[in-house]
Amino acid sequence: MAKTMREPAVATSGVLRQPTLATMGLGGVLDIFRRGRLPVETGALVDQVFGPAGERGALVISGASGIVGAGKAMQLGARLQPYDIRIAALDFPGAPDGIARQYGGLVGAFGPKGAAAIMQNIVRLSYDGTSLPSELKRMNPRFLLEAIPEILDVKRAHYELFRREFPGIEIRSVTSGFPSKELGVGIAHPAFPHEINKVWEIVEETPSPVTQLFWSLGLIPIEVSDDWSFVLDVLFCGVTHAGLQYHRASNMPLWKVDKYIRKLVGPNPFRAHDAIGAAGANFLTWSCLHHLGERYGDLFRPTALLEERCRTGQTWYPPNHFRPLVDWKMTEADEAEFRAWILGPLFQMTSLMLHEKRGHLSHLNAIGELCAQFRQGILAQMRALGPDAVIATVEAYHRVHPQAAGSAWHPEAFAAMQTPEWRQLYVNAEHDGEAGVVTINRESLSGAVIEELDRAFDWLKAEGVSRVILTGDFHLATQMVGADTSDFYPALSDAEQGRRLSAAWSRTARRLEEDFEVSVGFVNGKRCLGGMLELLAHCHYLVSVGDAGLGFPEVTLPVVPGMEGCHWPFRKSAPEHWPRLLTMLLGGSAVKAKDSVGWLTDYAGPLDDALRTAWAIARGGDHGVKRRLVQSKALTNVPTDVAGLSDHPEPATAAARAAIMECVQRACGAPLAEALDVQATISGAFMASKTCRGGAVGMEYAKTMEV
Amino acid sequence: MKTVTGSLPRARIPYGTWGSSYFPAWQTSALAEVNIGQFAGEAANRILGLRKVPGDQLEFLVIGSTIPWHWKFWTAPLVASCMGHRIPGYHVEQACATGLQAVLLAGAEVQNGYDAVGVVTFDRTSDSPVGVFPERRAHERTHALADVWDNFGFDPATGNSMIAAAGKTARKYKLDRREVDDCAFRRYEQYFQGRESGFLDRVLVPLDVLNVQGRPLGRIDQDLGVRSVSHEQLRGMRELDTCVTSGGQTHASDGMATLLVTSKERVKEFSARPEIDIEFIGKTEVRADPSLMPEAPALAVQRLLERLGLGLEDMAVLKNHNPFAVNDVVFQKVTGYDWNKMNNNGCPLVWGHPQGPTLTRVLIEALEEAVALGGGYVLIFGCAAGDVGIASVFRVS
Repeated sequence: MAKTMREPAVATSGVLRQPTLATMGLGGVLDIFRRGRLPVETGALVDQVFGPAGERGALVISGASGIVGAGKAMQLGARLQPYDIRIAALDFPGAPDGIARQYGGLVGAFGPKGAAAIMQNIVRLSYDGTSLPSELKRMNPRFLLEAIPEILDVKRAHYELFRREFPGIEIRSVTSGFPSKELGVGIAHPAFPHEINKVWEIVEETPSPVTQLFWSLGLIPIEVSDDWSFVLDVLFCGVTHAGLQYHRASNMPLWKVDKYIRKLVGPNPFRAHDAIGAAGANFLTWSCLHHLGERYGDLFRPTALLEERCRTGQTWYPPNHFRPLVDWKMTEADEAEFRAWILGPLFQMTSLMLHEKRGHLSHLNAIGELCAQFRQGILAQMRALGPDAVIATVEAYHRVHPQAAGSAWHPEAFAAMQTPEWRQLYVNAEHDGEAGVVTINRESLSGAVIEELDRAFDWLKAEGVSRVILTGDFHLATQMVGADTSDFYPALSDAEQGRRLSAAWSRTARRLEEDFEVSVGFVNGKRCLGGMLELLAHCHYLVSVGDAGLGFPEVTLPVVPGMEGCHWPFRKSAPEHWPRLLTMLLGGSAVKAKDSVGWLTDYAGPLDDALRTAWAIARGGDHGVKRRLVQSKALTNVPTDVAGLSDHPEPATAAARAAIMECVQRACGAPLAEALDVQATISGAFMASKTCRGGAVGMEYAKTMEV
Repeated sequence: MKTVTGSLPRARIPYGTWGSSYFPAWQTSALAEVNIGQFAGEAANRILGLRKVPGDQLEFLVIGSTIPWHWKFWTAPLVASCMGHRIPGYHVEQACATGLQAVLLAGAEVQNGYDAVGVVTFDRTSDSPVGVFPERRAHERTHALADVWDNFGFDPATGNSMIAAAGKTARKYKLDRREVDDCAFRRYEQYFQGRESGFLDRVLVPLDVLNVQGRPLGRIDQDLGVRSVSHEQLRGMRELDTCVTSGGQTHASDGMATLLVTSKERVKEFSARPEIDIEFIGKTEVRADPSLMPEAPALAVQRLLERLGLGLEDMAVLKNHNPFAVNDVVFQKVTGYDWNKMNNNGCPLVWGHPQGPTLTRVLIEALEEAVALGGGYVLIFGCAAGDVGIASVFRVS
């Protein structure tokens, strides 16, 4: 199995670091713009994997009634149904019907008709584990997704059975732990919750059509190396293991350990086990840690309590009638020790993954965020601390748990922390010598993303590139949902912190206007909201796929937009469009990009057309799109009222609308040079207000940080 | 220090692996609203955590309580589950002797082979349950009994109340009301000295109680109900029976206490100060004549010391469960021991009477005091319903 991530397939003059698309053999993002289309076409890949129309084979999901199998039957069923690919859902005759339980979710997502169509395409078959039902042959299986229990011999026999019956069938295992070399098949390990989480860890020799098809269907395949438990379960089982070790050392109840882990890192692993289903999840966690422990020693070896819970399937949280009575509080010294117990093993495990080159660093980082509830990816956390502090944290862990010091500790892996691979976890840049593309692979904008944007802009300028497209990465970020509100937590109690954050982020956004000859914001996903929209709107041009939703939902949180959303779009549009902008800001509803051309976007259309348009603008060709200039003088006669939106019966919304309106009036009424500070001050003040603290951001802060 | 052989030579109490909640008076705190068995389990886990005792080292659990609590049928295994551990155990109940008896039984379990036995004692007098007892032979057919107050008020074996027993004993020994008041005053003085010196902080652990939504319900960080009483106030109090006033008797309260008993082979693993050795030396119980309960502890002490070949002068610390000041004055009458010299830092007369954990807290305070004094024998004694007296000696060296 290739340990080193593959080189990008496209020829570009420069890349800040390897694009993650390249790990799937899909080239770089710049190439997408240059070609004016995506690197692969879904129909062609469907033909390749399942055979051409008329000879289409089926997808078999074995263990289809389980949590993973049923979830993936829905996810893949919904995406493959338009291509007339049948799904054989295979399980034991006595297995509880996990497929039918999914129907409600399908109706919610696709409506009754759509749900029925998807379900009609799924054929449920029973088998006894030793022979396959004859009906299966008639369905011409081309691809087996195996989701049966984590027992190596059983899995191997299962593959043998299929290969005997269907030579040449493509097989992927959803295993969360066994390497491909142990199983003898490729790995497609999906992340929970299986109905909706798009991430799959992929292990294969070279990027396969199956993986590219997954990507083309809108999923997020992530190539990882062929090592025990890959990346996700090292992180998830690892944080669970760390919590169990701390529990043993302190007696702190698991529900409380969970809350402190959530405060420190983001996930609440014990609640997650119970939510997934303790019986299965406990076993999977034990299985991963057991095998990791066998290979790497005490760093991973399961605790006695995990072994007990694996055996009994007991939940980690107490039952409802024994909701916890006695609270636990930590002193500062306790919290310092807790950090060592939790972050120490996580950092050490990460050192192992880095040493083994388990994946592209952006992947290693993103998996924690996308699949394990990490507020910041593990590498981003480590980078923020710096190598010395990371090593000191692991050493502090070794002092309280010396057994872990003996193996799987690779501090030398942090020596590369200053390389672009580490420094650009969220933002990449590519260029061809004339035009560049800056890509964001995080769906929410954070301080770390802002810092990386600045570095990417600096790099492009240093490379002599003055024409740039800013967009998503076409891989890890399938949409742009706005600011990461956890970055606002410090501002909830300090208006100055809010003002500084707002001003700093806005200054980075302004570089798109000021530092480049041409900048194009490109919306490629389903939506672009809030801070992300404010960011992209700073580009000289904003190009979008037509169906994307664009909006300023800040009022619903509520917060006041902090990145100049209250005046910048006004300065770029004619007065007759200002009521529309006000409606967006005060109402919080999104508009379709195709309905916003001329006053918010500059072009919106089908993906390929939008790609070509953006590229033409960036390259300075004949694109026919008129640039809307930013009015630098104070604006006058900005409406002070919008029909139906000037008031609201709910006091928080009314207060937010009033603050946003004040911000619009004052920021628009100031010259451009002063407007940034005006907006930042009002945004910061509102974040520290009682209204904001009582809203979604404040509630999330209280839930997460006030343990 | 005279040397005598311990009664449970394998059992040890590791120094510092103990703690008690504060004992708020009934209906004054959040403890009035909890399942006390669950609270005790979670609190014991918290206390052992603060004492750096990994709960998973416990092999067996002895719980002690006297007032029925929700799901008490499941006894120690349930409390252990609330501590987060699946270990076996049982429940012991002997009225106000429970808190000491549970420790002694834990010692016996260690003597018989376990290496680490937890003791958790607890009771909630607040809102004590009402039992309904079908009694077909009785003229009322069915009796409803409020567990705390109806039992305090009526000993079925004698027909007398607890207060009546105290009064009867005071009369037997011809106690002087002024001496009883002096004794009560001294006890308050000792408690407040213990509190102000920080001694109680080494024993008592503040605990935060949550409601079902996980929000704070209250903090248990005071022996609520304890009030400073002057000589004059005590003198002026109405007698409820001979030499018994509200100031010279304890009050109902809620709480829990916990303590660890280990084998001598493993005691150093758990002890905060491994150089300190705490042994079980002996124990006895007696039953006094009807309605002379306050006399019983003194008789038990006499018998125990005689059997051990020790005298009161050999004891470094004396501490007892004294629901009435009468108990302590009678103790002096029977044994000649000056009541001024015992019950330093507080006693149940002052800080209350939650029944199950009372003598566990008495023991913990006494062991701390003995350690502070540099060691010696510790005599723990007290009375219990049924005119029973219990006494036990420990050695701290």
